Parts: sequence; structure tokens; C-alpha cells
Amino acid sequence: MSDTSDTSVFDELPGDLMIWVLIVSELLVFGAGLAAFLAVRITDPGGFAVAQDALYRSGAGLNTVVLVTSGALAALALRLREGARRGAARVALIGAAALGVVFLVIKGAEYAGKATEGIGWDTHPFFTFYYLLTGFHAAHVVAGVIVLLLVAWRDAPRNIEAGAAFWHMVDLVWVLLFPVIYLLR
Amino acid sequence: MRVPRDPLLRAWGALIGLSLGSTLLSLAPVPAGLSTVAGALFLGLAWLKARVILGRYLGLHAAPFWHRGFGISLAGFCLLLLALYLTA
Repeated sequence: MSDTSDTSVFDELPGDLMIWVLIVSELLVFGAGLAAFLAVRITDPGGFAVAQDALYRSGAGLNTVVLVTSGALAALALRLREGARRGAARVALIGAAALGVVFLVIKGAEYAGKATEGIGWDTHPFFTFYYLLTGFHAAHVVAGVIVLLLVAWRDAPRNIEAGAAFWHMVDLVWVLLFPVIYLLR
Repeated sequence: MRVPRDPLLRAWGALIGLSLGSTLLSLAPVPAGLSTVAGALFLGLAWLKARVILGRYLGLHAAPFWHRGFGISLAGFCLLLLALYLTA
């Protein structure tokens, strides 16, 4: 008689378990960074508020729209590939990657604006955290764009699922980072 | 206005709405004494967005145990952030 009860709760997770280990690890790293940011803010809330006013909230809001739209395209790509629509899936992945580049261009313009105003990472502790957290996130966006293009090329459904999951993790981190760095004052 | 049937399209629409909502909220001046409400709103909207991404983009809607677990953990994390924000 075969044993059919050999199932784990981990089997419920969509995709590869290791991508979920990565997602949780990244959430913990960024979560610790955001908690540290707010803990340091306790020592100088006025200075943090003045520093935050130098940021472009609407630009960061636009970037949120760009990233969640890119995430939708990545999720759509997996569905298209599973439906054997390889060409359409590739177009969706390339579109998702292109929006990732748009995110980086807006972020780059933000950094350039700060540099023009003479604001650097050592101007105030707010900006140390700002550059550290948003810069680390931007590095993940760069990696995500490369991953999306790679899985558009090597487009097995399993590859696309892993690549899209990485991209959604980048998205997930941003929706938590955005209000803490740009909005809470 | 018709609500799209496709869950992915609905999720995308919800994320756009929540993102625009938090950005517009940030542009409005917050009256003194309402920072608790504003902080709770910003973090509450972030939690909702995270839930949508986990559920529909990452597919956890098909794994209720994990969806609930991530939701509770993220809610705890957002409450920690709110406590740190209000301590200042």
C-alpha cells in the first residue's frame, strides 16, 4: 500500500522553496534596516523631517506605480508561458525589465538632484540610511532586470517562475521602504 | 465602473489605487496631533499592498496557511515600525 500522507506544509508554497528562503531573508535584511532607520530617527525627529522634505515624494510615488506595473507584467509572463504562449510571455518579461530600467532612471535622476543640491550620504544620518536602503534596493532592481532578461531568453516555466518571484520580492521590499523613507514624518 | 474579472488585473488596479492613495495622502499637510493616524494610514496602506503582492503576484492566495502567516508577520512588523515612529 502506498503512503500518500508524506506531504509537508512547504509543498503548498508556489515555486521553489529556495526562492522563498531568499524572499524571507531579504525581507529580514531590509526590515532590520527600516527598523534601525526609525530607531535612529527617535534621536532627532526634527532633523529627519527637514531632511525628508528634500526628497521628491511624487517621484517616489511614480516609481511605485512603475514597479507594481512591472510586477504585473512579470506575473502575466508566467501565466502566458504556462499557457504555451512563449512569444507573448517574452514580450511581457522584456516589458517588465524595461519598466525596471524606468525605475532606475527615475531613481538616478533623484540621486543626481541630491548631488546637485550638495546632499551626500554624510549630510545627515537620514541620508546615510536613505542612500544605504534605496541604493541597496536599486542594486536589487539592477539584478532583477538582468534576471528577467535571462529568463526571457531561457524561458522554461520554472525559470520564469523563479525570475518573476525574485522581481516580486524587489516589489515587496519597495512597498515597505517607500512609506518609511519618503512618507512618515 | 466595472471591476475587471481577471484577478491579476484586479490586483494591479488595487496596487495602483493604494500607491496613488498613499502618495496623495503624503502631499496633504498633516495637522498637529494627527501624526498617529497618518502613520497608521501609511503603514496600513503598505501592508495592504504587500498582501496583494504576496497573494496575487507571488501566488500565495493558493496557499492560505502561508498567506495568513506572511500577513500576520508583516502586520507585526508594521506595528513595530508604527511604535518606533510614534516614540519619536
